[in-house]
Amino acid sequence: MTVAWIGDRGVPVADAVKHAAELLATSLCPVFSFDTDVHGTRAAIALACRVGAAYDQLEGEATARETAQYTDKGGMFIAPGEVRRRADVVVIAGELPAAHYDLIAELANTVPDLDGETSKRQFFLIGADTPAPGNVKATRLSCEGGIEAALAALRAQCAGRKTSREVAHFNHFAKALAEARFPVFTFCGQSLGPLGLEMVQGLIGDINRKQRASALHLPASENGWGSTQASTWTTGFALRTGLARGYAEFDPWRFDVARMIVDGEADLHLVVVNDPKRVPLAQKGVELIALAWTKKPVAGAAVTIAIGVAGVDHDAVVYSSRVGTLAAIEAKAPSELPSAAAVLRQIAEYLPHEEALPC
Amino acid sequence: MLTRIAGGEIVDPVNGRVGKGDLWIEDETIVAEPSGRQPDVTLDATGCVVMAGAIDIHSHIGGGNVNTARLLLPEQHKAHVPRPATTPLSKVGWTTFETGRLYAQMGFTTVVEPAMSPGAALHTHLELADIPIIDKATLAILGNDDFLLSMIRDKASPIMIEDYVAWTVASSRALGVKVINAGAAAAFKENVRSFSFDDVVPFYGTSSRSIVKTLQAAVAALHIPHPLHVHCNNLGIPGAPDTASETMAAAEGLPLHLAHLQFYGYGTAGKRGFSSEAARLAALVNSTREITIDVGQVMFGQTVTISSDVLRQFSARGTANPKKSVIYDGDANGGGIVPHNYRADFYGSLQWAIGLELFLLIEDPWRVFFTTDHPNGAPFTTYPEIFELLMSREARVKAMEGLSKRALALSTLPDLTREYTFEEIAIMTRAAPAKLLGLKDRGHLGAGALADIAVYRKGNDIAQMFRSAALVLKNGELVVEDGIVKNYRWGKTLRLKPTPDKAMVKRLEAYHQERYGLSLNWFDFPDSAIQREQPFSEVSCNA
Repeated sequence: MTVAWIGDRGVPVADAVKHAAELLATSLCPVFSFDTDVHGTRAAIALACRVGAAYDQLEGEATARETAQYTDKGGMFIAPGEVRRRADVVVIAGELPAAHYDLIAELANTVPDLDGETSKRQFFLIGADTPAPGNVKATRLSCEGGIEAALAALRAQCAGRKTSREVAHFNHFAKALAEARFPVFTFCGQSLGPLGLEMVQGLIGDINRKQRASALHLPASENGWGSTQASTWTTGFALRTGLARGYAEFDPWRFDVARMIVDGEADLHLVVVNDPKRVPLAQKGVELIALAWTKKPVAGAAVTIAIGVAGVDHDAVVYSSRVGTLAAIEAKAPSELPSAAAVLRQIAEYLPHEEALPC
Repeated sequence: MLTRIAGGEIVDPVNGRVGKGDLWIEDETIVAEPSGRQPDVTLDATGCVVMAGAIDIHSHIGGGNVNTARLLLPEQHKAHVPRPATTPLSKVGWTTFETGRLYAQMGFTTVVEPAMSPGAALHTHLELADIPIIDKATLAILGNDDFLLSMIRDKASPIMIEDYVAWTVASSRALGVKVINAGAAAAFKENVRSFSFDDVVPFYGTSSRSIVKTLQAAVAALHIPHPLHVHCNNLGIPGAPDTASETMAAAEGLPLHLAHLQFYGYGTAGKRGFSSEAARLAALVNSTREITIDVGQVMFGQTVTISSDVLRQFSARGTANPKKSVIYDGDANGGGIVPHNYRADFYGSLQWAIGLELFLLIEDPWRVFFTTDHPNGAPFTTYPEIFELLMSREARVKAMEGLSKRALALSTLPDLTREYTFEEIAIMTRAAPAKLLGLKDRGHLGAGALADIAVYRKGNDIAQMFRSAALVLKNGELVVEDGIVKNYRWGKTLRLKPTPDKAMVKRLEAYHQERYGLSLNWFDFPDSAIQREQPFSEVSCNA
C-alpha cells in the first residue's frame, strides 16, 4: 500500500520525508497548521524550531479567542468533575460544539452529590439562537441584540442596574442564583467573541463577591487546547507563535497562519490533520506538505505522507474536556501507519542541526 | 570511561571529606581512586570548590498551574527575549527547556516540583520530561480530595487510608505527599473565605489538623522517605506565626516538613500591623527536632505566584500586578495564579529580611532548606544572589542600604553576623535534601554515589561563582563548562512505587464510576505515554 507521495507519484516514505525536509530547508517563510495530539504538537514545534516556522491550530480562530481570555484577562475556571458533583445551576453561555453534548446530557442525568442534601440541577441557556445541547431542558435567557447583549444585560440586571433591554426569564434566573450553592457557566470560543468571554468572567467575578461560581471551559477544539498546552510549556507561548528569528515570538495577529497565507507572506505550508478534506487548497507560490490519514495524495500537495489517527491507529495523549486535562488513550485499531509525531521527527532528522531539539 | 577531577577543594560533609584532592568517576558513578589506572579524561579543578550536584526540594517547574502562569503572562516572556538583563521575569526559566538549562548552569542536578495534582499527573510528567539535563521528582497533593476527606469523616481505618495514599503515590508517580492548606480548598467551594488549623471543613466535619495528622501518619506508616510536606493554613497573613507554631506542635515527634516558612513569619506589631516573627519561628524550629523547613526567600522584582492554595490566591487576586489572575476550582485543590511585583518598600523589605533571618537563625543546616518557592518568592535564577547574602555579612549590609529602615528596625537581620561556610552550603543544598527525600545515591561524593557533581571557580564574587559553574557533571557526563551547557541529555523523574492494594483499586474504580461516571483508567497512564526512553527511575521506600 502506498503511504507517501511526491506530487501524485507514490514513493517510499523515506524519499517523501527527505523531499519535505528539502522543501523546508529552502523555504524563506514556512508556516505550520495542525490539528493533532500532544506528541504531534511537540514534534511539530521541534521541527518549527529547526526551520524557523510559525505555527497555529488549523482553523484556529476559536482556539485563539479562548487563548486570549487567558493571556489578556485570566478568570475563574472549574474542573468538569467538580461541575458534575457540585454545580446546582448550569448556565450554557452560547452554542457548544457537538463533542460536548454528551457531557451536558450527563450533567442533566445526574445531580450534585457533594452538599449532603438531595439536590437538583437547573439549566439555563443564554442567547435566543443557542441550541440546547443534548436536548437538555433549560430556561432560555435572551434579549434583543444577540448573545453578547444578553450577557451584558444579564450582568447588569444581576448587579441591580437598569438596562435598555430586559433579559427574558431574568426573575427565574435571579431566584435560582440566589439559592444556588455553586453555579457554573460553560463557555466556548466557537460561539463567544472576546467581549462575550470577558462578560461571562465579569459576571462570575461579581457573583464571587458574596457566593461561589465558576466557568467550565469547553474548548472549541480539544486538540487545539491540548496543542495550546504543549506549545506553552515548550516555547513559553500559546499557538500563533513564530520562531523565524531563532527565538519564540507570540503574536496572535502576525502568526495567524491563515492570514499569513492569504497575505502572501508564507511560501510553504505544512498541514497535519486526520481528514484530508480539511487540508486547505494549495495556494499559488506556497508549497504544500500534507500529513493526513489518506490513501491517496492530497490535491496540489508537493508531498503527502499518510499518518495514523491518534487513539485509533496508535496510542496518544490528548486533551480531554471530560477530565479537564491531558489523558492517555489507547489505539482502538492499531495499524502500521506512523503517528504525526514520528513523521515530523523523521523530517527534522534530515535537516542540518547543531543544537538539541527543545522537546 | 574513567574521569578524574583533579586538584579541587572537595566539600563533602557526608563523608567528612573537606580539602584539596582528586575525585574519580567511572561512567555514571563516583569511585575510589583506582590503583594502577590512568584516567581517560582529566578535568582540572584547580582553584575550584567541588561539591555534589545541588538538589532543590521545592520549585514549581511544571504542571497545570505552572503552565497556566505561562499562558497568563505572555508579555513577561516576550519582553525578556530582546532585553534579557533588565526586564521583569527576565531570568525566570520560563520554558521547560530553559528550566533545565538554567538550573544545570548553576550546578543543580535534581529538582522537585512540589505540587502535582494527582488527577493531572500525566500533564505534569510530560512537562518534567521536557526539562533537559537534570533529574526531577514531584510530590502528590492530597488533603482536599473528596475521597480522603470522606474516609476521615467516615472514620476509615488507618490501613485503608494508607492504601489510598499508596495508590495515589504509585499511580501519579510521585516521590512523596504534600498537603496544601488542608481542607481549605474544599471549604472554599462551600464559600468559606478564611480557614485555620482547627477550622472544620463543611460537609466533611473534619478539621485541617485532623487531615494533616492523618496524612502524616499514613506517610510514616508507608515508610515514604520524605516526611509529609505541609503548606500550612493562613499563608501570608499577619499572625500566621501562630498557625505555623500550632502545626509544628502537631508534629508530636513524627517528622514533618513545613514549606516556605518565610510566608508564615509575619507578626502584627508596629503601626502597620506587619512585623517579623522570624526569631520566634526559628527558635521553635531549633527546639523541635522532628521539624524541617524550607525558607521561600523573597527577592525583589516581578514574579508570579503559583499555588494550589486556591483560597489564599483568591484572596490575593486584588493585588495582582499586572491586573489579571486565574483561579481554578479543581477536583481537589485546584490553584491560583496571581502575578506579583515585590518592591523594596516597607512590606517587601520585611519579607526579604524575614527569609534571611530564618536562614541565619535556624542553627542546623540539615533542617533548613534553600528555596524561594520558585517563582512565588522569586525565580530560582536569583539563587546565586541569595548564596552571596548567606555567605557574606558585608553583602547583606550593602543590600540593606537600599531598603526600608523602618522595616529593618522590626527585624533582627541587621544584628546577625553569621556567614554560611561552603560546608554548610553543601549540607543545606546537597546532603540534607538527599537525606530528606531518601535519595541515597546523591547529595555526596562518596564511592558508589551517582556522579552528579558541581565544580565552582572560587572568587570574590560569590554570586558569579554560583551563577556559572565551572563544570557540571550529570550521571558522569560533562554537561556544563564555564557556565554554559555543552551537552544536552534527558534526565529521569524519580518516583516511589508502592504496590497498591487490590481491594483499594477496586473500591476506587467503583468510586470513580459512581461519582464521576469515569473509569479509573482516566486517572492513570502507561509510562509509554511520556514517549521518552525510561522516563522514570524508582526510589525505594525506607526499610
